[in-house]
Amino acid sequence: MPVALSSDIPPATVIPLQTPSGPMALWRSASGRLSMSADRCPHRGMRLSHGFVRGEALSCIYHGWSYSQDGHCLRIPAHPDLEPPAAIRVATATVCETGGVVWLALAQTESQPPRFSHHTPLRSLAFAAAPTAILVALNGRASADGSMQGELAGLSVILLCAPQPDGTSMVHVLAPSDATLEERLAISSATEALRRTAETALATEAAA
Amino acid sequence: MKLYDYILSPSCYKVRLLAALLGIPLELRAVDFHPGGEHRKPELLALNPAGSIPILEDGELRLTESAAMLVYLASLTSPDWLGRDTAAEAARTEQWLSFAQRLTASLGGARLCEMLLRPGDLAALQAAGIAALRELEAALFAQRLHGEDFLVAGRPTIADIACFPYVALAPDGSVSLDPYPSIRLWLRAIRALPGFIEMPGIHRLHELKPEPVHGAEGEPA
Repeated sequence: MPVALSSDIPPATVIPLQTPSGPMALWRSASGRLSMSADRCPHRGMRLSHGFVRGEALSCIYHGWSYSQDGHCLRIPAHPDLEPPAAIRVATATVCETGGVVWLALAQTESQPPRFSHHTPLRSLAFAAAPTAILVALNGRASADGSMQGELAGLSVILLCAPQPDGTSMVHVLAPSDATLEERLAISSATEALRRTAETALATEAAA
Repeated sequence: MKLYDYILSPSCYKVRLLAALLGIPLELRAVDFHPGGEHRKPELLALNPAGSIPILEDGELRLTESAAMLVYLASLTSPDWLGRDTAAEAARTEQWLSFAQRLTASLGGARLCEMLLRPGDLAALQAAGIAALRELEAALFAQRLHGEDFLVAGRPTIADIACFPYVALAPDGSVSLDPYPSIRLWLRAIRALPGFIEMPGIHRLHELKPEPVHGAEGEPA
């Protein structure tokens, strides 16, 4: 499933994500390598997405325990001479990055993420609506790969919707690769209007 | 220059933060806002009948609105921070200073409900806060498309400082910041500014300093 846009996670940053396997921390090392781990430090349960990335390690904000890309604890600052036991580790997940979109593999068998030859990522925003309601509001077509195609501001767009555990959807908007700055801004505004439509339809449905 | 201050107040922090970023020393006078309610007692009401903090005094000048304090501090030493290079920039800066009041009322109101158990319609305050965050996210995304990291320009201004604290502390009012990638990058850009100071709930970027070395205690960091 699509989880984020590459441009929203520059080197040496970490962001929180809600996934079907629970809350996860997506982080990019200083050298640019992307990793995902469970968003919970095994020490005291602090969210690792509140932490920080120094070099090639993710550190917890609480007591500074740091973790490698494969999830092993590298360092415990309060015990500087201790080599952390191998049993101290965070669960990790497999992510891959294609065409500026970060994908989480939900199963080992999952096929390669789709590639979009004429579109590039614009922005991600949360809709308080399910993907089905968004597709209706867009008046678009759903593809076999899970993406939606339609028009916003008179331009062809692709929406990648990631349903969230709380019933909302994270929507990643892809714009035509040759769109101008003005056209990108127009698609961004039109996406906000689409969100109002999708969320209002939902409220009307609930009231009925 | 004397600031009547409360460590947990985002509005007081705006003034402390800008003073730190601009290198202006402040004399801090702690106010027992909670639980003492000192801001509603005669000594402080005499300075500010509205009963709010912060209050900034510099000689004969006494200010009771944080936006005015930001204007004053920037005007003293760093007019670049006023965000007034063009007519449009000046107007946009004013727009965000007013928008900051919406953040105070919505996200700040939710925070007071959750942290100090003040009465209020929490769900309505949170909904208003989310509406404001969505507006901010859209504006910051447009700024990114223009290649600018801050609200009105490629450089930070008082508009950023006015909006920063209540946004950063939204989770105190149980409003999540997780769905806003452009806000996240903007918060980070502010926290990366030279001279940035913390307040409870808003920490500095530890990664900007090298990893502390064991056995090096006593040496300058």
